[in-house]
Amino acid sequence: MGETLNVALPKGRLGEKVYKLMESAGYGCPEVLSGGRKLIFSSPEGTVRYFFVKPSDVAIYVERGAADVGVAGKDILLEYCPEVYELLDLDLGKCRMCVCGVPGRAAGAGKLRVATKFSKIARDYYAKLGRSVDIIHLNGSIELAPILGLSDVIVDIVETGATLRENGLEVLSEVCPISARLIANTVSYKFKYEELAELVRRLRGALEA
Amino acid sequence: MDFKADQGTLRGMSGDVFGKSGAGQGYAGGMSKDSSGRVSDVKRQLRGLFEGYGYTRYRMGKFEEYDTYAKNRNFVAGGAILTFTDTDGRLMALKPDVTMSIVKNTLPSEALHKLYYFESVYRAEDPAAGFGEIPQAGVECIGEIDLTSVCEVIALAAGSLEAMSERYILDISHMGVLSGLLEDAGVDGESREELLRFAEGKNSHEARAAAKRAGMRDEDFELFDRLIHLRSRLYRAVEELEDMRLGERAAEAVRELRAIAGVLGDRENIYLDLSLRSDARYYTGLVMKGYIPGLAKAVLSGGRYDGLVRRLHREEGAVGFAVYLGLLEDAGRDTQSVDVLVIDEKGDPEAMFEYVSGLRSQGLSVRADRAAPEGLEYKRLVRFTKEGPVNG
Repeated sequence: MGETLNVALPKGRLGEKVYKLMESAGYGCPEVLSGGRKLIFSSPEGTVRYFFVKPSDVAIYVERGAADVGVAGKDILLEYCPEVYELLDLDLGKCRMCVCGVPGRAAGAGKLRVATKFSKIARDYYAKLGRSVDIIHLNGSIELAPILGLSDVIVDIVETGATLRENGLEVLSEVCPISARLIANTVSYKFKYEELAELVRRLRGALEA
Repeated sequence: MDFKADQGTLRGMSGDVFGKSGAGQGYAGGMSKDSSGRVSDVKRQLRGLFEGYGYTRYRMGKFEEYDTYAKNRNFVAGGAILTFTDTDGRLMALKPDVTMSIVKNTLPSEALHKLYYFESVYRAEDPAAGFGEIPQAGVECIGEIDLTSVCEVIALAAGSLEAMSERYILDISHMGVLSGLLEDAGVDGESREELLRFAEGKNSHEARAAAKRAGMRDEDFELFDRLIHLRSRLYRAVEELEDMRLGERAAEAVRELRAIAGVLGDRENIYLDLSLRSDARYYTGLVMKGYIPGLAKAVLSGGRYDGLVRRLHREEGAVGFAVYLGLLEDAGRDTQSVDVLVIDEKGDPEAMFEYVSGLRSQGLSVRADRAAPEGLEYKRLVRFTKEGPVNG
């Protein structure tokens, strides 16, 4: 038997979907589905050890080597640029990072006020366009900012667009597509290469099935 | 890379470079291997290793004129430098890097400059965490670099890793393989940069999309993708590379890797990883990174940095590496150890003092205390009671 892979999964719906994918790839751990407050689960044959963490923390666990691999959204990877390998696009949790605003409200030619949780993504996006911006970092309820005149636009994740519509906002442009990615710690990749290569091979097979 | 040494001679020398005992052995040049990996032990072993290869210790001050670094800020990881104005009005910097200072302060000569150092540098690697003192050890070989010097530095890098852990991996790459392949495939500018960035993250899915945008042919991308993920011992990996149909630029880089692999032989812990990358303005061709288990990132990094030397107006070449000792300290490997811990359990002070002195006179390190200090490792525990010393 090879070495145990420590896998950080995001808590919540995405984590459940990812676990199902892992299970279909042969990395099942029935204990995961048993409910309760347990945070760490080891597969019976000892191939994997799962732990569930806050989605935005997965990349930290992996970058710092507490987990060998993990599943993180591309939004987190773009925003925090952790030093990890991005091995696979799992095609789960698909959504878009978009610029949104009040329809028909023309932004002035001056500095654009952008409210967002994703300051780096927004800054990089407008830097590419050569547009001067004032980034307003918010931690939640981003949609409120243009409605109350705090910002001209927002940069945020759009899944179905329902929240935007309900608040009288619309997508003005797409920054990039987002989905869940399999990431690996760079040192684990060296010392657990066989196990990681097998995991990627089996996940790829499960995604294609 | 300009290899001037004679291949036949170097083959004969490989036994001396790595020791004749085979893979994974003999790097430390006869020193006893201590797998405990404590920072003080590691430093002692590194010093013995570097001096065993005839390297001279380079000592430097903590400050240098800011101008030294101003034009090459990108060479300094993170880019941020701590500055202050000296009493004479000059803008000074707390040294953010050792290599630049060494290159600047050594004069061109016929003989190679073979130097090693143990120094702290000051920089903000993570801007969110602020400035910090980063202890490093390292080796720099400056002058007319030939194959012998390159292989010697690789051997020193492997030996340094072995001093830290019996289990280690040294990854070697040549930046010319991937960039040569892209050039041969007609991909340049921002597209080339983007593809190399994805390669560094082993990110095939986004590299594929970027290749499509750049108009790269499918067969060229498949080869590029295969190279990103090629992972085996250097010697065998080079054989695989030689069997691939590479263009002239990439093949030239492979020939350099072949020369290195030929000298080093098939080494158990030395791998090829073509996704390794360093700033192309400073590094030219060979790059390497070293890993030991238990640390979250590479503990050793280096390569051939002729580009930096030329930016500092020198015509020679250079090869070297740095060992990030701070990572070992952060990982809790900076524990102290003694041969004997003597716990005072209301024993006679005079008798205990005499007993402890007696142990020390036998060459043992001894700590006398009222309780076992947290984090102290010891080989033997003695309780000193009213009746005298009692083992355990």
